Amino acid sequence: MSIDGIVGFLFIALSVASLYLLVSVGLSIVFGSLKYVNMAHGVLYLGGAYIGLLIASSEQYGGLLSEFGQVGLDWGFVPALVLTPLVIFAVGVVMERFIAKPFYERDLLDQLLVTFGILIAAQELVAIVFGRTGTIYPRPDWLTGAISLPVIGTPPGMSAASTIRVLVVTLTLVLIVAIFAFFKYTDYGLAVRAGTEDSEMTQMLGIRVGRPFLLIFAVGSAYAGLAGVLGGSLFNVTSGIGMEIIIPSLVIVIMGGVGSLRGTVIGALLAGLFFATATELVPSMTRASIYLLAILVLTIRPSGIFPSTEIGQ
Amino acid sequence: MSTDTIHESTDGESSLISWETWDGIKHTEWFVSLSAVLFVLLFSYAFGRAPVVSDLLRGYHGLAITVLIWSIFALGFNLLLGQTGLLSFGHAMFFGTASYASALFAIHVYNDPLVVILVGMLAAIVLGVIAALLLLRLHTVYFSIVALAIAQFLYFLAREPLVEITKGINGLDVPRVPLLGLVDLEHEYGGLLGMLVVNNLYLFVGVFFVAVVAFITRVRKSPYGLIFKAIRENETRTAFVGLNVWRYKFAAFMLSAAIVGLAGGLMAVNTQFAGVERLYWSVSGDIVVMAVLGGLGTIAGPVIGTFVFFYFKGIVNGFPTLGNYWLLLLALSFTTVVWVYPDGIWGMITDFTAALRDPKALLAKTKRRLAGLSPLGDSTGGDR
Repeated sequence: MSIDGIVGFLFIALSVASLYLLVSVGLSIVFGSLKYVNMAHGVLYLGGAYIGLLIASSEQYGGLLSEFGQVGLDWGFVPALVLTPLVIFAVGVVMERFIAKPFYERDLLDQLLVTFGILIAAQELVAIVFGRTGTIYPRPDWLTGAISLPVIGTPPGMSAASTIRVLVVTLTLVLIVAIFAFFKYTDYGLAVRAGTEDSEMTQMLGIRVGRPFLLIFAVGSAYAGLAGVLGGSLFNVTSGIGMEIIIPSLVIVIMGGVGSLRGTVIGALLAGLFFATATELVPSMTRASIYLLAILVLTIRPSGIFPSTEIGQ
Repeated sequence: MSTDTIHESTDGESSLISWETWDGIKHTEWFVSLSAVLFVLLFSYAFGRAPVVSDLLRGYHGLAITVLIWSIFALGFNLLLGQTGLLSFGHAMFFGTASYASALFAIHVYNDPLVVILVGMLAAIVLGVIAALLLLRLHTVYFSIVALAIAQFLYFLAREPLVEITKGINGLDVPRVPLLGLVDLEHEYGGLLGMLVVNNLYLFVGVFFVAVVAFITRVRKSPYGLIFKAIRENETRTAFVGLNVWRYKFAAFMLSAAIVGLAGGLMAVNTQFAGVERLYWSVSGDIVVMAVLGGLGTIAGPVIGTFVFFYFKGIVNGFPTLGNYWLLLLALSFTTVVWVYPDGIWGMITDFTAALRDPKALLAKTKRRLAGLSPLGDSTGGDR
């Protein structure tokens, strides 16, 4: 492999890992801290993809919207990238209050079943409104083609990687650092961590854990919404993407070890690497690779790479 | 269970047979099996050809066969979730694998419906052993999601790398041959039998259905099956009593896999086709919806759930305006059931009949409701 090939390979791996990571982070936090398993997280990704599409372009949809001709604001890609997470943040607030909160005290399996039902219903609703055919994000000129990257070890030479992938990876990197910092250095993050340890005691100390929980839930939601826009511009957008992304993401969270953000990051990176390696060596195994990885990891370590909390054990 | 003593009813009704007797009869194994036989005999007729009912239902014979096969699937799934409390989100793996095994055996080795179905079951059992070794170390949601991961892995494996064997998205065709070389499955009967069961295929599936119902009832009534329930209620305590929990979980898992494998084999024989979509997550999801919607931990529940599901999918789907929304309605009903009424449709029916039987309590409850007070003893579905 040439240096170009290696960089291209790395960016495929990292961009896939980034997408999974943006979705998994919210899942992981909510699952780890709030003891809530949320399949409806896929709704946020799906919603992000479609809301981003409505903001970024104007398209002819099928379904109920077919009578309205071209639907959408057509503002371009960057506004979509900025506004979608804000909208999905609000959706996340609503979701936490009305769907997640009543279930915090209930059985994990009930949570799984209810959120699964909500995800199926939401996907069907999107299919009815927007039709069942896929749509592709229109990419602005500056996002198509390759970008030159200075590569360490290739002195004057420059190496190429696709622009959209570079954007995805950079954004994810910034956001993941932000959420780590949030947890480590802010009072809200501290309250969430305390609430995770012992929510009753935390409340007795006069700290309202409800609000930090709500905030962290909504931030995770916004990440998933952003992932929807980015994922939509890498792959195409259909009504089924919510489920398609949530299965690998849940698998990554469990593989990394529930309750461990570090584990989720490592898990997503491994999944991306596996994905890219399979694409290079055995293209037919690309889609199966992540599940194979999960099966291997969980055979060796049943409670994940970094087991930290004991949920349901 | 003594059912031969007839109590005089004490609540002023002068009926010869009292409620207690009926309750005794209702729970006997032979009664359940007999009900299954009657159900098989009358279901297709009532659904597809009875004078008034079928006009309302708009059913047809082919769908009745599908419902029976999926009922077997749902019953097998329910043995794991309803009895043992293990929610597998990847049961499509057994269904699809058994289907493929049946089809491959029929094409490459020997084709006879009975043998082919047994091979399907065997394949599901072998897969079950492998999957159990990985899955049974995990709990609750971990178990569910990793089961889903295994099923998805097999789906993508069958779809692309193994395309030489599975023919990918085109699937495999299974030629139809007579049963044991003698009985033609397509053979249509005349007279009363023809009215009830139409053809041998329905009868063939029906026999398996009754056998599965009888077998599951046997397991549920046995001390062995009670241990499954104990594990569902409290695994730790079951272990403290000195029982080897893993062994019983393994047994439940294998029984479930075998029954689902049977359904997969039957499906291959019924549709004369085995395809990759039977391994997809939506199949696992559908079966979860069916079992939960109908009512977990019962025999009638999964069957009712399956019927409702296929009624929506096969018939409501064809309605002019409503047809567009069939899956949405189904998903919303499912969510509502899990949210507020975990006992499902069958639970609603039994609660309703129990209320009818005790008119005084019903009256009091209604009065309280009207008075704006919450009814006492609200069921929170704690008996799952």
